[in-house]
Amino acid sequence: MSTKQRIKVLISVIGLDGHFTGAEIVSRFLMDAGMEVVYLGIYQTPEMIVNAAIQESVDVIGISSHASNYEQINLLIDLLKKNNMSTIPVICGGSIPKQYAEALVKKGVSKIFPPQSTSDSIVNYIVSTVKRENVTGKLNG
Amino acid sequence: MKRETDYGYEIKPAYTPADIEGMDYAKDVGDPGVYPFVRGYHPNGYRSRVWTRRMTAGLGSSKRTNEVLKQYREMGQTQGMLVICDRPNAMPIDADHPVGRREAGVLGWHGASLLEFEELMDGIPLTGQSITLLGSSAMSAIRLAYIVILAEKRGVELKEVHGSVTEYPFCSTFGQTDHLPLDLLIKLWLDSSEYIVRNKIHMRSGILSQHFQESGGNNAQALAVEIAQLKELLGLLVNERGLDFDDVAFLPYELSSIGMRFFEEIAKVRALRRMFAKMARETFKAKSEKACQLLISVHTSGRTMTYQQPLNNIARCAIETLAGAIAGCTAIDNACLDNAHAEPSPFAARMSLNTQHIVSDETGVTDVTDPLAGSYFVEYLTNKVEAEAYKILQQIEDQGGMIAAVKKGYIHTMMEESARKKQKEIESGERLIVGANELVIPPEEDDDIPIQSVEASDSEEIAKRMEEWKKTRDVPLLEEKIAQLYKDAKKGDKYNLMPSIIEAVKAYGTAGEIMGVIRMAHGFHYDPLEMISCPFDV
Repeated sequence: MSTKQRIKVLISVIGLDGHFTGAEIVSRFLMDAGMEVVYLGIYQTPEMIVNAAIQESVDVIGISSHASNYEQINLLIDLLKKNNMSTIPVICGGSIPKQYAEALVKKGVSKIFPPQSTSDSIVNYIVSTVKRENVTGKLNG
Repeated sequence: MKRETDYGYEIKPAYTPADIEGMDYAKDVGDPGVYPFVRGYHPNGYRSRVWTRRMTAGLGSSKRTNEVLKQYREMGQTQGMLVICDRPNAMPIDADHPVGRREAGVLGWHGASLLEFEELMDGIPLTGQSITLLGSSAMSAIRLAYIVILAEKRGVELKEVHGSVTEYPFCSTFGQTDHLPLDLLIKLWLDSSEYIVRNKIHMRSGILSQHFQESGGNNAQALAVEIAQLKELLGLLVNERGLDFDDVAFLPYELSSIGMRFFEEIAKVRALRRMFAKMARETFKAKSEKACQLLISVHTSGRTMTYQQPLNNIARCAIETLAGAIAGCTAIDNACLDNAHAEPSPFAARMSLNTQHIVSDETGVTDVTDPLAGSYFVEYLTNKVEAEAYKILQQIEDQGGMIAAVKKGYIHTMMEESARKKQKEIESGERLIVGANELVIPPEEDDDIPIQSVEASDSEEIAKRMEEWKKTRDVPLLEEKIAQLYKDAKKGDKYNLMPSIIEAVKAYGTAGEIMGVIRMAHGFHYDPLEMISCPFDV
């Protein structure tokens, strides 16, 4: 690992989605890769996720979504901006169609991992992103 | 490439009579229509009736879903309709709830009131086709009330309506959005089930292994979980509600998830018929042959449909549909080409219904019943998956049964470990998936498919409509029915709430309101998310 401190990742399912399997599998392999995971589980609103991110001062926010209305993720990005927390990268995984994935990236999501993404690709992305963030000055939390 | 069953047993290059040595055809298999029903329940198989070829509908407003159902009828879906409910409704909270309004109509139909059911069914017959509404366990009693009331309003004999609108109380354990405590879910499921059985209504209740398996469970585990659920839930109806097993046996139906392990999927369904028949006869002392027959429907596995190169899913869907057909089932609904992206578009729905008709009408699969019987391999697999399932079933029994195993987290751990194992097998290349870890193409070259979507404005519109509509109801009548429901909900676990729920639904009480006061009567907050308070003075 490139940073001295363990990377701390918040993983949450957003909105009323009950599909937790993806979030649990990702949480598990991030821990196996030596990261600290704050797993919020299901039924989390954007407000709850931002609060937890502040309290836990996480490095990355990972959102699992199987919705067909991505407004919840947009709200999360807006809320992070409002709280001057835009430097925390938000990554998303789940069944997010291409056109919506592009719109979410434009909105401020740093990376979308579609179904069948490998654990290596996710771990490597987080490691390289957090490193970059450290170079530019880490947020206050 | 790994050559073993999805539950971890090595597969040999060839199978011979030695692999099924000791198998007694008459006793262990039997002809089609003969106990233990490995080969199905009808001597003439699909010649008596081809499986119901249907497709999931449900997205956005009731009116929009109604239009989709009418479209499906034009696409040849006339034997049965299948509608899935949206997220807020599954919980259930109403569309005008501060969180509900963000997701109304997402991933399903917002069926929160009788008004919405009336709009959904506008111009669509209640009889002559099966009516299936999927969603959550908590909503079961309310959905059953919709059927009872609409039949009455249309002057249709309730006994003529068939299908399924109620679901087992373990959904939320398996990734479904359902926010009632398990004990209350069980009580309400027993209420709706008892009502169905006592009134001889021809509506089934889904006691499914599909959610478990789609969340990562393997074939042997799925059988074990299914039998454990049936044993405990049907046992409660017999022992706590005093019903006769021979009547109760007509209640459940199973939705089996059929994945890409072609022969194993077929073996699984064959084994399930035998396991249920034995349990019915040996554990529940079933008197009739009919009571030894578990109705089985098939869902082609959404988990196997890839995001990458989605048109490949047409091939997967066809293979899985063929497996389901060969296995023998009463109905099939397909996860199809856009399953990893969105709810089915009209394009995907047509492909999917056509796939089923290609399988039923062009391949000859409906000519002969259980055509793989006697195959050394398939009979071996049937015995093997059953034997493995019985071992897992024993472990669940050792935990104290299904309810205890769920509460202890045993089932969840089993599911999570299996899901992780599957993920690792794919990442290591031991299991190959075209487009995902084999024959991969760059994302920018991937197929473009039509995507069905719900926008934030659609959800908001559903929410606003509900807010306005709620004010137009006969409020004194509604208050009276809600107050009665609250009183009745305090009368103890065995007091059947179905009649009071029907009254509240008839007065246009909504899902959030009805479940809210039941929650309160049981000492919980009116709102599962604890954001709004009860609008009634109960």
